[in-house]
Amino acid sequence: MRWLVALSQFLSALLLLTSTATAPARADQLIADLSQSQIAIRSNFTGTQILLFGAVEARTPGARAINRDVIVVVQGPERPMTVRKKEPVGGIWVNHDAVTYPSVPGYYAIASTRPLEVIAPPETLKALHIGVENINPGIPVARSLDGNTQILSPDQEAAFWKALIRNQQRNGLYFNRPGGVTFLGRTLFRATVDIPANVPVGLYMAKVYLLQEGEVIDTISSPLYINKRGLERSIYNMAHSDPFHYGLLAVLVAAFAGWLASAIMGRR
Amino acid sequence: MQIYLPIAELPVSILTILAMGAAVGFLSGMFGIGGGFLMTPLLIFLGIPPAVAVGTQATQIVASSVTGALAHLARNSIDFKMGGVLLGGGILGSLSGIYLFKMLSNIGQIDLAISVVYVLFLSVIGAMMMIESVQAIRAARGGATPRRRSGHHSWIHGLPLKMRFRRSKLYISVIPPVLIGYFVGTLSAIMGVGGGFILIPAMIYILRMPTNVVIGTSFFQIVFVAALTGVMHAVENQAVDIVLAFLLVIGGVVGAQYGVRVAERMPAEQLRALLAALLLLIGLRLGYELVSPPEDPYSITEVQVVK
Repeated sequence: MRWLVALSQFLSALLLLTSTATAPARADQLIADLSQSQIAIRSNFTGTQILLFGAVEARTPGARAINRDVIVVVQGPERPMTVRKKEPVGGIWVNHDAVTYPSVPGYYAIASTRPLEVIAPPETLKALHIGVENINPGIPVARSLDGNTQILSPDQEAAFWKALIRNQQRNGLYFNRPGGVTFLGRTLFRATVDIPANVPVGLYMAKVYLLQEGEVIDTISSPLYINKRGLERSIYNMAHSDPFHYGLLAVLVAAFAGWLASAIMGRR
Repeated sequence: MQIYLPIAELPVSILTILAMGAAVGFLSGMFGIGGGFLMTPLLIFLGIPPAVAVGTQATQIVASSVTGALAHLARNSIDFKMGGVLLGGGILGSLSGIYLFKMLSNIGQIDLAISVVYVLFLSVIGAMMMIESVQAIRAARGGATPRRRSGHHSWIHGLPLKMRFRRSKLYISVIPPVLIGYFVGTLSAIMGVGGGFILIPAMIYILRMPTNVVIGTSFFQIVFVAALTGVMHAVENQAVDIVLAFLLVIGGVVGAQYGVRVAERMPAEQLRALLAALLLLIGLRLGYELVSPPEDPYSITEVQVVK
């Protein structure tokens, strides 16, 4: 009869497994989309706004939506970046120490229903990498004036990282909009996110988190592609794929303009 | 109206760029200079990355120096032989300047290098010109005719590899012009200038060329050095913004015509004193930035991924 016991154990285990597996499916679910999945940078580009809209599908209609929050994180392409600190050397301010981070998002915007610190405990935000202070830029390399790698104290290193965030904020590329997500009624929500004119091009990711009582219930992400189009794109591509002929073209156009100017002046 | 610059990767106001081009063009027409030393700091001030400012400025200089060289060609005031010798040095100088530029960018010191070189040359040449023009104005008021420089033999005449420059009525060694060309070529690649404001005094005071061929010869040499610098900046740093260059050229061409007309009505000494004051002012402004504590000592740059 041992196999029967084993079978019943197996079945109950299976039941337990399926019940836990279906549990999240019974919780509230997110649906969200961006107003556009592509942004074209043309010659008249001066920045834009993207609209993210979505809905919370309540699977447990009886439960009230208390402490329900939505956080939207839009993150740009990651690139290596160097932070340099100026120090006075013989009375002149010189770039002295430098720290290079291997993967820094070129754009990082957060919109949320309420301030982040109210929505969730810091550990949760840290685990999810939500918030500028929780970006993981990889292992930094510090260099001194002579170009040799050096080891900075955690305090010093933190000052460099803070400076990077400060600079990006000043350029309008990192920002946080508490209250940037608004609920329209009980299920619908919308968020607008500013895309400034100086955004780096590349693949962006908009991630939406649904939280209840500080716990993430559901997440959804949709990609956003920002790229140059039209003449901007042709010029940029030519400058990078065929720099010699591009440079030659620029110089010849300039020389022609110079000749044209003298031809017009000479006629007068 | 705004336009997005494809290489500088930021939008600028078309009117601002045209006005800047026109203002610098006006001064360049008035003083007979390229105006690069005014334009490059202005572009950097607008937020254009230094590499793009310098690279783009080189193409703009091609335009203005072609106009200048053609005008002097019509007056037969170019010493082609001397221009060629200067150009030989200039080409080598431009190449090493580009290399230096790239190296300094990689170690994060290019902004400092540009500023220091600017401060140094603007203040030294500005001060020299100021002293000289004030003396000339005084002499003119005193009624005394300025002394003609005697053609005495200097150390330059002791150098080998002598060559005859018929148009300049000189028989000197090619070593000084090649060195001057090299030096100015290097500066032109780093500073985004044609270098006329160094080349012209050097030709007058060191090479002792007659004043009537100096400006034309300088323009002739600058056309080719600036063209090479522009192409090299495009190849090495992908830093030439053709849209920005085009706007600057249009503004510059228009402005230069008015500058030339104003200059015709002003006495040369006062014009030189004015230019000297301008050079000193920009030099002081940039110098002040070097020594005053920056608003934020930290700055960020994207690391160029090597292909």
